[in-house]
Amino acid sequence: MDYSKQIQEIASKLFAENKIDYFVGYKQNSFDDSQVPFLITDPAEIPKLVFTDRSVFNLANYLKPDHTKRKRVGLVVKGCDSRALNLMLTESQVKRENVYIIGICCEGVLNEKGEKAQNCVECVMPDPVVYDEMIGTPTGKREYKVNVDIRELATKALEERADYFESIFENCIRCNACRHSCPLCYCAKCCLDQETSTLYHGANTSSGAMHALMTWSLHLAGRCVDCRNCEKACPSHLPLHLLHKQNESVIYENFQQHLAGMEKDDRGAFYKYSLSDPDDFIL
Amino acid sequence: MARVGVFVCFCGANIAGVVDVPAVVQEAKKIKEVKIAIEYKYVCSDPGQQMIRDAIVQNRLTSVVVAACSPRMHEKTFRKALSDAGMNPYLLEIANIREHSSWVHQKDKKAATEKASDLIRMAVAKSIANEQLHEISVPVTKRALVIGGGIAGIQAALDIADARIPVTLVEKSPSIGGRMAQLDETFPTLDCSQCILTPKMVDVASHPYIELIPYSEVIELQGYVGNYKVKIKKKASYVDFSTCTGCGTCTQKCPVKVPNEFNMNIDKRKAIYTPFPQAVPNKPVIDAEHCTMLLKGKCGICAKFCEKGSINFKMVDEVIEREIGAVVIATGYDLWDPKPYEEYGVGRYKDIITSLEFERMVSASGPTNGVPVRPSDGKVPKNVVFIKCIGSRDEAKGIEYCSKICCMYTAKHAILLHHKVPDSHAYIFYMDIRAAGKGYEEFVKRAQVETAATYLRGRVSKIYKKGDKLMVRGEDAQIGQVVEVEADLVVLATAVIAPKDNPALARLLGVSYDKYGYMSEAHPKLRPVETAKAGIFLAGCTQAPKDIPDTVAQASACAAKVCGLFAGDTMKKDPMISTINNEFCSGCQNCITVCPYQAIVTEEIPLGYGSKEMRTVAKINEGVCQGCGSCVAICRSMAITLAGFTDTQIINEIVAI
Amino acid sequence: METEVKEAQGKIISAENPDITAPADWQPVIMGILCNWCSYAGSDLTGTSRIQYPPNIRIIRVPCSSRVDPWFIIKSLQTTADGVLISGCHPGDCHYISGNYYARRRFLVTKKLLNFVGYHENRIQFSWVSAAEGPKFAKVVAKVTEDIKKLGPLHRYKKENF
Ligand SMILES: Cc1cc2nc3c(=O)[nH]c(=O)nc-3n(C[C@H](O)[C@H](O)[C@H](O)COP(=O)(O)OP(=O)(O)OC[C@H]3O[C@@H](n4cnc5c(N)ncnc54)[C@H](O)[C@@H]3O)c2cc1C
Ligand code: SF4
Ligand code: SF4
Ligand code: SF4
Ligand code: SF4
Ligand code: SF4
Repeated sequence: MDYSKQIQEIASKLFAENKIDYFVGYKQNSFDDSQVPFLITDPAEIPKLVFTDRSVFNLANYLKPDHTKRKRVGLVVKGCDSRALNLMLTESQVKRENVYIIGICCEGVLNEKGEKAQNCVECVMPDPVVYDEMIGTPTGKREYKVNVDIRELATKALEERADYFESIFENCIRCNACRHSCPLCYCAKCCLDQETSTLYHGANTSSGAMHALMTWSLHLAGRCVDCRNCEKACPSHLPLHLLHKQNESVIYENFQQHLAGMEKDDRGAFYKYSLSDPDDFIL
Repeated sequence: MARVGVFVCFCGANIAGVVDVPAVVQEAKKIKEVKIAIEYKYVCSDPGQQMIRDAIVQNRLTSVVVAACSPRMHEKTFRKALSDAGMNPYLLEIANIREHSSWVHQKDKKAATEKASDLIRMAVAKSIANEQLHEISVPVTKRALVIGGGIAGIQAALDIADARIPVTLVEKSPSIGGRMAQLDETFPTLDCSQCILTPKMVDVASHPYIELIPYSEVIELQGYVGNYKVKIKKKASYVDFSTCTGCGTCTQKCPVKVPNEFNMNIDKRKAIYTPFPQAVPNKPVIDAEHCTMLLKGKCGICAKFCEKGSINFKMVDEVIEREIGAVVIATGYDLWDPKPYEEYGVGRYKDIITSLEFERMVSASGPTNGVPVRPSDGKVPKNVVFIKCIGSRDEAKGIEYCSKICCMYTAKHAILLHHKVPDSHAYIFYMDIRAAGKGYEEFVKRAQVETAATYLRGRVSKIYKKGDKLMVRGEDAQIGQVVEVEADLVVLATAVIAPKDNPALARLLGVSYDKYGYMSEAHPKLRPVETAKAGIFLAGCTQAPKDIPDTVAQASACAAKVCGLFAGDTMKKDPMISTINNEFCSGCQNCITVCPYQAIVTEEIPLGYGSKEMRTVAKINEGVCQGCGSCVAICRSMAITLAGFTDTQIINEIVAI
Repeated sequence: METEVKEAQGKIISAENPDITAPADWQPVIMGILCNWCSYAGSDLTGTSRIQYPPNIRIIRVPCSSRVDPWFIIKSLQTTADGVLISGCHPGDCHYISGNYYARRRFLVTKKLLNFVGYHENRIQFSWVSAAEGPKFAKVVAKVTEDIKKLGPLHRYKKENF
């Protein structure tokens, strides 16, 4: 998968026609074969734009907060990224007319080890769900499968899981990089910020992190699109996808196979209901 | 520093018999913020309340905890005691140590005592975070809007107007009256429908407090209880009502004939018409779909003959705006189209008609001068078969529910038939006879005795033609046999259904409707005339099928509700409602989605202090919010606070023990 | 994700942490959060009917089950409670029309998530109790108390100094 040429062409066209103020894509890293997000305002930099299976980030994150309210942006999104963008549009965080969306029909990106990333292997929607221009050939929606790690953990005993997660939460340094890197965490004042709430005490203890990450993941339940931007940003390498995938699987299974960001105007599973939602867990 | 007073009640032996009250008081004294803790036999008694009042003043208390019975019992009493002592009443918290402890742990005194102490700790902790709240008063515009001018709308409008509250009555068709105007005589007393209805219609037209806007529809409603703004579209009638005298020359002269919907299309009316002779207002309108002048620019005969020059082909639709405080929805019902009953030959056989068609025929002012006739040959029928539950209680073809009125009006039809054609015979196929109501069972009996009608319990399976007769084949379940009746005329009691515009109207008004399209009441038992949206009420068949007495009762109930709402210049509201801190709001508008009362709207505020750029945030309308807290829990940014149940208050309770 | 309960002679073993035990007469604390219109009224009726139930529950009143933010549950479990019971109006009976439907979705996901990270699922329980169901409230509390007693003290993720 190398769409660098096409993206460069589109970016040139957009600048030439004065349709955008800036463009967000990827640039080759100078010291290894990874890439970094790349924001350009000067068309002269267009040749540096690349897009390959190393283009791992969710660039929709660069539209927050309220960027498109003032500027017109050209943006490259993969399937998962486009779902996040879809939600941002529904939640009035992005002005549709101010973002020019280049949607990639994604063939999957690589993880640090150079293998196809887990979320890409399990991806339900590699094609963009919202775009102005599409690159590649759409392959359509795929069957939903419960994440392998979730399935494995589910077989473990309760105390084992508790041990495991306690050790994970212990490593969180409450830097909030996960929150920062998630395109759907755009809140003007976030509940995780100490000053906002009476919620948290003792920041970097396992219990403090547990409370914080639990609340955070519930804010993303029914909204998280599994781009794993948060996980990539976490300096302590916490497997944050476990929390999101757990919620996603419960939601998919119980709430009409809901998947986040697939449809325009869908705000996520917690902002609607069905009379036939499961009730048997309630006494 | 908080200074809390704790007052523990013995409630005679009710509490003290199980909970060790003095021990609880000692425990309460240990709480840092508690300045005074006292026990008393009956805290709710006058001396008990006096004790609270004194303690508040003497100890300069900042909040009060009463440990006694459920807040659902005496919260109001104690709040008043606080106000009387000059303290904000919402600084009170109640620890429910009777219903939640002494009464339910009678055998475990120690545990009950411990629990009572914990409940007090929780209440003290919560009360520390209590804020001073003030009753909200919302101004009200004292004018009601009634939508629909059937008997429901007429009754509601008259009752409200008689209380000297101005009413705007909006009716879709050219005249008020609704379905009742189409009826002949009415069960259970057989008084003539027109005779009891038309005086009311005239009252509406002449009432100083009623503004009647016929031939119009509501197109927009904004605002909230007490403060709505409505837009009404008045369709062009092409007749200037201010000069028209209603002489009717125009309708006589008009050459265009159109099926007459008031008479169920049995006869014809003109393109310029008044729906029926007693119409209110008694002025004609031009039906733009059929007038040749409006369609092709030729004709104009009516204009030529109108002495007053009232006809104006250039008239356009007009939008009228009104400020109102409450709405009564009274849009009535429609009747189900029996087409799916193919096995009956509906549509193929002319001599199968609906009950309302029958009703028009037997009406003295109807198209056949009060005599039922066969549409095929105009002959007076001798054998008439009535079939009930057409579409009702029929999940497969129609709807599940019972239409409620058909049993009664079919019995009435048997009587009317007997009166109009004495040598006739009625056969009635029925599933059940449902005649619950004052004088109803007697009325059905009367029909059976007086007319000797044959009641056949069972479904009709087929109708076919034999010569010029219709053969009705059905089952008589009582003898378990198939019967065939030779009929001159078949009358179908078709189901009552919600008007097809109801869902659109409901959305426009912001109220909910059920799966059939009927407007939903706020509570099926206790709030049957209110909708969930404050200030909007329901009268008549728009809410569910019902007969005239029930319709009128509900309409008068609506009027009482409206008058209650308008009793003061402002409405008082509980201050336990939500507010949004717009600094924290990110404008996601999820709260708007979940609020069951449409209490939340968007507003534009400057991006930063003094900034010219704007951003969109959510805002709660305090007049509408009911304080459920749904929005609070879903707002991720914690931008919303529900007074009385803030995050801090609840957290304080959780960690207090 | 079924998680069974361990029992030992004369002692209660914490479900999440077998190293922690409690004496057989150990009493759990249960945080009950009840909606004002149905469940709180129902619990009052339990009282007026003098129906007895175990004294372990501490009750917080909220207007509607939809006011319950998942972190009330987490907070309770991290601080004072060994288990949580949240109760609202039956579906269709919500005083505020639709609150409990939204709440129901959050409750299911929260319960499963907490179980996933190591809480026994019986520590987080929900019920629908109407204002007329005094006897039901007593039964629910008895069942929840019984369930949580078996699970032993909750030690995971406790905040040492809150
Ligand atoms: C065949 C038959 C016989 C009956 N006989 C009897 C009887 O003998 N005794 C008895 O008690 N009951 C009888 N009923 C029932 C009776 O007709 C109803 O109970 C009564 O008419 C209900 O009155 P309403 O005002 O709710 O509705 P309606 O009479 O339907 O009035 C509704 C009015 O609202 C107007 N409207 C509708 N939508 C809008 C809108 N969007 N904007 C503005 N205006 C609108 C309509 O034009 C109409 O004028 C009979 C019914 C039928 C079908
Ligand atoms: S964690 Fe929650 S409050 Fe914070 S930014 Fe994300 S969604 Fe908003
Ligand atoms: S929570 Fe993580 S994986 Fe989910 S959408 Fe946000 S950044 Fe992507
Ligand atoms: S990025 Fe990682 S370390 Fe930082 S707050 Fe999130 S989970 Fe914790
Ligand atoms: S849910 Fe919260 S952040 Fe979103 S619009 Fe409402 S108040 Fe604002
Ligand atoms: S508290 Fe309830 S009624 Fe009030 S604004 Fe929020 S959701 Fe609407």
